[in-house]
Amino acid sequence: MKILVAMSGGVDSSVVAGLLKSQGHEVIGVTMKLWEGENGEMPETGCCTASDSEDARKVAAKLDIPYYVMDYTESFSEDVVDNFVGMYAKGLTPNPCVECNRSVKFDHFITQAKKLNCEKVATGHYAKIIKNKNEYELHKADYLDKDQSYVLHMLTGEKLEYIDFPLGTISKPEVRQIAAELGLKTAFKKDSQDICFVGKKDYRNFVNTRIDISSSGEIVDKKGKKVGDHKGVHGFTVGQRKGLPGGQGQAKYVTKIDVSSKKVHIGEKKDLLVSNFLLEDVSFVNDIETNNLTVQTRYNSEDLPCSVREVRDGELEVILEAPTYGVAPGQFGVIYKGTKVIGGGRISSKVLEKTE
Amino acid sequence: MKKSEYLYLDHAATTPMREIAIKAFIDAEHEGFANSSGGHNLSRKAKNILEQSRDTIAAIFNVAPNEIIFTSGGTEADNWSIKSLFNKKIDPDSNLVTTNIEHEAVLASAQWIKDNDYEVTFAECLESGELDKNSFLNGVNKNTIIASAMWANNETGIIQPIKELSNDVKKKNSSTLFHSDVVQAVVSDKIDFHKDGIQSAAISAHKIGGPKGVGAMFLSNEFKLPSMLHGGKQELERRAGTVNVAGVASFASALQEQQNNFDDEIMIMIKEKEEFENIVKDNFKVKVIGESEKRLAHISNIQFEKVNSEVLMVDLDLNGLGVSRGSACASGAQKPSHVLEAMGVNKEFINNHLRFSFGWSTDLGDGKKAAKILLDSLEKIS
Repeated sequence: MKILVAMSGGVDSSVVAGLLKSQGHEVIGVTMKLWEGENGEMPETGCCTASDSEDARKVAAKLDIPYYVMDYTESFSEDVVDNFVGMYAKGLTPNPCVECNRSVKFDHFITQAKKLNCEKVATGHYAKIIKNKNEYELHKADYLDKDQSYVLHMLTGEKLEYIDFPLGTISKPEVRQIAAELGLKTAFKKDSQDICFVGKKDYRNFVNTRIDISSSGEIVDKKGKKVGDHKGVHGFTVGQRKGLPGGQGQAKYVTKIDVSSKKVHIGEKKDLLVSNFLLEDVSFVNDIETNNLTVQTRYNSEDLPCSVREVRDGELEVILEAPTYGVAPGQFGVIYKGTKVIGGGRISSKVLEKTE
Repeated sequence: MKKSEYLYLDHAATTPMREIAIKAFIDAEHEGFANSSGGHNLSRKAKNILEQSRDTIAAIFNVAPNEIIFTSGGTEADNWSIKSLFNKKIDPDSNLVTTNIEHEAVLASAQWIKDNDYEVTFAECLESGELDKNSFLNGVNKNTIIASAMWANNETGIIQPIKELSNDVKKKNSSTLFHSDVVQAVVSDKIDFHKDGIQSAAISAHKIGGPKGVGAMFLSNEFKLPSMLHGGKQELERRAGTVNVAGVASFASALQEQQNNFDDEIMIMIKEKEEFENIVKDNFKVKVIGESEKRLAHISNIQFEKVNSEVLMVDLDLNGLGVSRGSACASGAQKPSHVLEAMGVNKEFINNHLRFSFGWSTDLGDGKKAAKILLDSLEKIS
């Protein structure tokens, strides 16, 4: 089979290319160049650095497969970076990796693969695709520590038909071992955890350079009383504890960010308890299911038992069996049935009801 | 696909070495391996090879041998000519005039000067691809120490009216040094530096079947430039570093063969390029850039309607045809060309271009073969 493999220069996608090639497939490697500096220079940290594409190029040369760098910077800049900055400006907590998978990576990549007569695309994500009768289902990876189904929840069955995740049944230590056996120099490369376009810098500085930060405002307590000042709502996310004016007694947390009044509300931990919330821009892998569901509200977080109710097209209410902390508007809520991903959407700031 | 079946149409990037140039390299290493600046018998042999090569190259461009200085390539020569005069000793009002369609070696050097607070004019270019003479000449004044314009563009092949431009520059300021990057032009045009009004030029060996890492700067005896590389007293104290004698010998023999075969080689390039362009035009909606302009024989830049050339280039490679898209960035992604942007090519079409470049290794029939591979890909992709 002719397969287009997304190669980031990391060990996971290197192994994917190596495995598929050793299985006899015709493999073509592609690095998606997602981000660059203002003058087209490569970022120094995060992914997409010149040394990453150089690593990918060396792996491709070692495997003797054709390799190309494709330019995705335009759509990445519009769909991911602008969105990232815009979300913070609105007091939301963005998840750029989901946005990237959702609007940049897979759509473009599958389109290019089809043009090049490739039957499938493959990536180094840890997730499984299972064909059940005529439907393609998305499942958690066997190696749960690295499971990435959360960030892939927006892939529909029609797309999954063209996708292969060869690492769905392999553990990370096994991946490193395979890389070493294949003689790939990326075998012991450290995993990248940074947001690729921000790197090791504080994301607040990145946001600062892109939007007007003159929107300083007040920090208020539960009763609306001013307890301090802030230099812009983008410096806060719901649930944040650091950097708040210290009071006596209990720790304080950001409970709400009101962009229109520029007020950051703080309260106690119990004020963050949420028992139901709304998802927007919801997509389903195949059909909606309603029984025996769980939800993850952050990447690789606990599975919380829940039920769901379709409010209207694209909007889903999630009702938790037990209230929880850490539901941040802007992050994604992903609905599972066992290991199977049902769908997901962005957590709305519209209805964030507290259990009082 | 066997390697030998791969069709190479990226000669503007580099060319395979001519057999005679490979032989000249090996012979020179055997006979003249010694340091050409040394004082013994073997050094004299090396020095002989070096000076014979210099004579050969000087004669081809109708210049004096001491007007040819060997460098590591075109980029070094461009950097040297553009940058070396802009040092602390110079009047801070001094300025440089160049164009916005130059090769990166000139553009980035000019930018460096600008970043050092000197005035730099980047003259605009017309939609036709010819530089805007008025825009260029408007930048020239009594403080212009260097004016630089390429003989022919490396992305489009469009030839600039250099002789005329140089004349007009001299009318405004007779002491201005007129520099020209002739790296692509040497491949398929005849140049006589003095007659053509050029006082300094960048020349590269590997575009005409010579080795990479070797080139020359032509510098008219009327001008002196400070050294860029400091060290030993090689090249009449102008360029430090042990001279790459074998590379230079190989360069000279490649250039000599190219000049001897000039008419035949050009005839094949033109024939194949025209055949290629005609077949493609008859079968797909395309625009050949600079078609009605004076163009170098070996370069064909084509705009495809509604086809992003990024995927097209990948598909051509997978099907055995090597071409180029613009300049490659550090990651290896191929960015749209700054030259097309300067020509005002609409943003909508700027990603739809490919450069096909023929060269001395092009055979009869290559144009037809390339057109077939291209049309097959286009059918699949568009």
